[in-house]
Amino acid sequence: MVIKIKTYGRIEKIDKNGDVFLPIGHYFLTNCKDKPEKIHPKLVIYGLGSCIALILIDFKNKVCGMSHILLPKAHQNKVIEYPHKYADLSLKFLMQELIKNGAVRDNIKAIIVGGSRIFDLDENFMGIDNIKAIKEALEKLNIKIIGDDTGGTEGRGVIFDTKDFTVYVKLTKELNYRKI
Amino acid sequence: MSGKITNKSMKINLTEVQLDILKELGNIGSGHAITALSDLLNKKIEVSLTSADINLFWKVPEMFNNHNKEVVVIYSEIPFNSDLTIIQIFSKKTVINLINLLSEFKKSADNISNINDLDDFSYSIIYEIGNILSGHYASALADLLSIKLMLNVPKIAIDSLNAILEGIIAKYSQVSDYIITINTGLKILDINLEGTICFIPPTEILVSLFEILNINYEMEL
Repeated sequence: MVIKIKTYGRIEKIDKNGDVFLPIGHYFLTNCKDKPEKIHPKLVIYGLGSCIALILIDFKNKVCGMSHILLPKAHQNKVIEYPHKYADLSLKFLMQELIKNGAVRDNIKAIIVGGSRIFDLDENFMGIDNIKAIKEALEKLNIKIIGDDTGGTEGRGVIFDTKDFTVYVKLTKELNYRKI
Repeated sequence: MSGKITNKSMKINLTEVQLDILKELGNIGSGHAITALSDLLNKKIEVSLTSADINLFWKVPEMFNNHNKEVVVIYSEIPFNSDLTIIQIFSKKTVINLINLLSEFKKSADNISNINDLDDFSYSIIYEIGNILSGHYASALADLLSIKLMLNVPKIAIDSLNAILEGIIAKYSQVSDYIITINTGLKILDINLEGTICFIPPTEILVSLFEILNINYEMEL
């Protein structure tokens, strides 16, 4: 069976404060060739539960991207409309897009955040599977993880400042964002 | 949302009439549930109109007000062909009000950010409210559809609503990109209580659901 994959889910709209809210299954790129003007928005996800925020950065060429992953593996559908919903596909497509926009494959580093287990006793919920799937996929492609804030039982808020490539994380219970 | 909605990864076609039937299921279920809560609290409860929507998975959090805020969610699963879910969403303040109303302890909302901060007694009050609401909801549905529905033990989470919904969205969007939510809002004015009951039937069971209700429905998988 041939699986047709569409590439929906790229966010390009930036709100007044220079923030970009990233919904599930969507991704964002900066320093793109198709957008000559330099913009450095803050990418935010408020309330990251079992999902994973995958951040790929090439520090040298200053290209980076972030995606909001929901599930570990793509289901055998005939058409996949939001590839960034799935860990394996999201990594593949984000890498492709970064390289297309001037990143060098060997320079790309990864930061992963999320994958918490919100309800106790939740055997059906995806947090742990998600962490496992994304780490396996990163290892396969030989990408170094330079920041890792995963697991636990609480939701997180994530802010990724694309100006200086810093990531700030806050557990729901915590009051202030901390740098990782 | 009206008219026909099609998704190529799994075809879902719902007409206006079929959406209305889902809405009616929500009305009947939430009607019973809220009557039970009203009996328990001995208060008048205002109920908003039930809405039934089909949404893309990433739009689901937008269906709820204040989806960035911290809330208390009671989650109950009903094993049927595939699991049905009822979630009840209350603000933290509402839950504290309920605990204070039903017990003699006086607490404030600021101290509570995690379930571990609640003592066993207030914890079991939340469980009990959850059980009463979803139990009556499920039994009304079971009567209407003449099927047997048994509730699992509810689970409680206190976190940002977005984070809690992610796990539920993950569960229901494995096959299809679309999720059906049937929402009913409730309000008790004199004790400042507000909440939402949300019923999520998985799209896989639509065929058997409409079959029971004797309504034509075809779905391609």
